Amino acid sequence: MAFKELDPILHSQLRLAVVSLLISVREAEFTFLKEKTNATAGNLSVQINKLKDAGYIEVTKQFSNNYPQTICRITKKGIESFEDYVSALQSYMNLGTP
Amino acid sequence: MQSENFSPTDSLQLINNMINQAKNRFSENGFLYLLWGWLILFCSLGQFIMMQLHLFKHPEMVWMSTWLAAIFQIIYLVKTKKKEIVKTYSENIINYIWVSFGVCMFILAFTLGKTQGWDIVYALFLMLYGTPTFLSGVVMQFKPLKIGGIVCWVLAIVATLIAPVYGLLLLAAAMVAAWIVPGYLLRKKFKNQNN
Repeated sequence: MAFKELDPILHSQLRLAVVSLLISVREAEFTFLKEKTNATAGNLSVQINKLKDAGYIEVTKQFSNNYPQTICRITKKGIESFEDYVSALQSYMNLGTP
Repeated sequence: MQSENFSPTDSLQLINNMINQAKNRFSENGFLYLLWGWLILFCSLGQFIMMQLHLFKHPEMVWMSTWLAAIFQIIYLVKTKKKEIVKTYSENIINYIWVSFGVCMFILAFTLGKTQGWDIVYALFLMLYGTPTFLSGVVMQFKPLKIGGIVCWVLAIVATLIAPVYGLLLLAAAMVAAWIVPGYLLRKKFKNQNN
């Protein structure tokens, strides 16, 4: 049985965590992602930029009550890549099953 | 969280864990259910008592207070939306359910004003109260709201069997079952989650 290659963008713990959170909600602010992933702000910011550059998420920056807000939303490409990634994981799991 | 290589099993566990964290987040604090539940309870009981005791010429004027509550609600929603750090699909659906309810209430009040069909007003209002309450319960998977919605529908049928003036008492009873009791339970659930 052939198995699919795992998407290197998603096969990283923090980026996968971010995408898994965003797939479950309509949109989330940076602070929510930071709280749920327990990541540092710097690391999270770097990984969010990588996901954004890959076109997997959209990032909107705005001000609310004079505080900057970073809002993240998964894109159609992000959803498709996530589905492909899960499907590839399943093919790996099936290979491991006797 | 590290970004080293990890196995497919770890990946699936992480996905499952993150999806559950987002899914189990409960953002409804019950405030608006309590605000409107208590307000409509007081308005309906107030109108009923004034009508029975002939205290005022226009006891239905108590309902004007709902306009103040509507303005307060708009301000409250604008403020809370700004503080939200995540928006879920279910919250979005629930918001549109209640917007539809508001539109239907407006159309019903307008239509009844034109047709003077006041003898069925309580049955129609109770039917309308039940729908968004039940649907919100379904989306939130919160049983007390589902029961509250069903109680409204049962009371809507009862309203057609009794004298219209007692419809006000049914309205008050519906508020207790549909919005006040679930409102307090939602508040308790919300507080437990955030403690």
